[in-house]
Amino acid sequence: MKTAMGIIFSNVYDSNMGGLTEARTSAAIPFAGRYRQIDFALSNMANAMIHHIGIVTKYNYESLMNHIGSCEEWDLEMEQRGVVLLPPFATGHMGVYRGKLEALYTALDVLEHSSQDYVVLTDTTVLAAVDYAAALQAHIDSGCDITVIAKPDKADGKRVNTLSMKLDQNGKPIDMTVDFAAPKEYLVSMGMFVISRELLIRIIRETAPHGKYHLERDFIMDGFINGTVSVNVFRFEGVTLFNGSVQEYYENSMALMDETTRHGLFRTDIPIYTKPRDEVPTVYGEGAQITDSLVADGSYLDGCCKHSVLFREITLERGARLDGCVVMQGCKIGTGADLQCVILDKDVVVRPYVRLVGTPEHPLYVRKGDTV
Amino acid sequence: MHFQKKRCVAMLLAGGQGSRLKVLTENTAKPAVPFGGKYRIIDFPLSNCVNSHIDTVGILTQYLPLELNEYIGNGQPWRLNSSHGGVQILSPYAGQKGAQWYKGTANAIYQNLAFIRRYHPDYVLILSGDHIYKMNYAKMIRFHETTGSDCTIAVRPVPMEEASRFGIMNTREHGEIYEFEEKPAHPKSNKASMGIYVFNWDVLEKYLEIDEQNPDSENDFGKNIIPLLLDAGHKISAYEFSGYWKDVGTIHSLWAANMDTLGEKPEFDLHGADDEVIYARNTAQPSSYLAETAVVSDSFVAEGCEISGRIKHSVISSACIVHEGALIRDSVIMPSAVIESGAVVDHAIIGEGCVIGAGAKIGGAPKDGEEPEIAVIGHEKTVEPGAVVKPGEVL
Repeated sequence: MKTAMGIIFSNVYDSNMGGLTEARTSAAIPFAGRYRQIDFALSNMANAMIHHIGIVTKYNYESLMNHIGSCEEWDLEMEQRGVVLLPPFATGHMGVYRGKLEALYTALDVLEHSSQDYVVLTDTTVLAAVDYAAALQAHIDSGCDITVIAKPDKADGKRVNTLSMKLDQNGKPIDMTVDFAAPKEYLVSMGMFVISRELLIRIIRETAPHGKYHLERDFIMDGFINGTVSVNVFRFEGVTLFNGSVQEYYENSMALMDETTRHGLFRTDIPIYTKPRDEVPTVYGEGAQITDSLVADGSYLDGCCKHSVLFREITLERGARLDGCVVMQGCKIGTGADLQCVILDKDVVVRPYVRLVGTPEHPLYVRKGDTV
Repeated sequence: MHFQKKRCVAMLLAGGQGSRLKVLTENTAKPAVPFGGKYRIIDFPLSNCVNSHIDTVGILTQYLPLELNEYIGNGQPWRLNSSHGGVQILSPYAGQKGAQWYKGTANAIYQNLAFIRRYHPDYVLILSGDHIYKMNYAKMIRFHETTGSDCTIAVRPVPMEEASRFGIMNTREHGEIYEFEEKPAHPKSNKASMGIYVFNWDVLEKYLEIDEQNPDSENDFGKNIIPLLLDAGHKISAYEFSGYWKDVGTIHSLWAANMDTLGEKPEFDLHGADDEVIYARNTAQPSSYLAETAVVSDSFVAEGCEISGRIKHSVISSACIVHEGALIRDSVIMPSAVIESGAVVDHAIIGEGCVIGAGAKIGGAPKDGEEPEIAVIGHEKTVEPGAVVKPGEVL
């Protein structure tokens, strides 16, 4: 049986995530009440028996390390042949990587010392329950150099922050664009790829010295256009959330209130694991009026809340009101406070009778640890 | 193999069939029965061990151990997956004299003396797997040391008029026990045994061997071992515990203990300081969703639930579905149960994985001043739509 290892890019899109990545990488952004974004990538890999995983990091990875811990919750192990964090080489500049090929340079050593035949690469900003075992098999069957896991019905004429492709009737790509306003019939890359380990090592070695750092543009699209790279597309029809910006993060959080979206993301046959926190179940007080909301464990809710995502260990005092909010772990919302379309990052204190109003298009963001 | 010497080894008696819990223990041992939304009964003594820095625990199972064994696994949720000690499941095994079921609590420990010997402990802590409480055993062991006792028994005060229902410890000054009376008709004290013992290891080992030689013995700690020690003049002390403690051996007490976790100032607060955390094995459940029609107050709701109905003063465990128009009041819903629309669940315990059909009526509130009678639906049962289950009825 052919085997695969995994590479997870923890922070390629950090610069689009505003305050959410001020103190953490994209991989560690809390989502859906009890998860971090990387839980989806790790769980998909664990569910596909991919146990050797390199996580590419650049900076701000303390909270990520803290979350992953020893990896036992994903049935993975933090050791030589298990999960390895790949810190950056000292390169002088402290920005994010310019592209995945550049970032992969840090993974060369791990790639070379692994034994698996294939590599599954993924971002942490695209959330979906994907069957990587099926994608791996499809890649092997195709005989192509690389398989792109892609989503139909996602292109809407707006600028897409990644690779998009037009397919012919047989599912073969006939056009590719990068960072372009793709028309409706195009499939959008989910930032997930399958490639042979040896080929990946070769292209990292060959492209990096020539200033080519962008996997999608410099390898896949250029190779496709030149006819030097054969590209297979694995269509993923399931629920897919692209958290590529603060705005998308907010919209996707609100989308979790839709049953189809929620059940498509959290499927009983593809469990999403996370680090458990040993909290007591959430307490609903006498004054609690919680409707159309997603609620994690460990909170004390005695106020009013609708259409919101409530993470762990939140205190919502009696008389406080939330509507269309994302409230992260450890926030305290005082009595009489009234919040609409607000993202409260971790450990924010909202004083009694404070009123904060954003709009669905421009949600108000409050930084981690602030008191307002 | 080398085993590190341990100051204290805990032995947790989890073999109970729990026949008074009726249908709830038809397919599972009592310690594996769900409690408080996300816990199982055994989480309480196990977490107490961890919070008391006891890292070596033997769990003695016998009755339907599969689910319990699976639940305990490698002990990781309780930080008991250490390679020096940790948690070990001890089931009855076949030796040269043939296989023997555990005859009594003392015999269960006797059959596993080899496990304790590995660690050369100073003390052995004997615990029961069917009590709900938070207790720092380290304090009890310190008390045992400072009083210079050979055995210490945890006791709690019960109302004098109820004392004849318990095993009562009669004490002199400083808590020294001179007599143990099982359910005395005329109690002399109100100090009831909690079934928690600290023994000096050498004393325990010696008297378990002696008791085993007596064919007439019931091999029970309370009835046999403690009187043996008293007759031989060993010092036994009573350690008084005043916190919340409940034997959840009956349907009513299991229901009442769950209700005790609710309210603004609950009688038994599941929350606590860092050294009072109750650990449980987590399942991979997403956050709960409360729909637009949901009305939930004065309740616990664990993760993985989809709630569209009304819930008042109840404990809803993980992964339950409560449909629109359903009403749950003063009840305990165990994991993965489904309550269909229009069903009314009142003063009831609904077992794991049950389906309560649309419009069914389960239980009912007691008349003023009367004790509630709790209706119980056993694990994995289906109640047909429109069916009526009376208060106190057990299905």
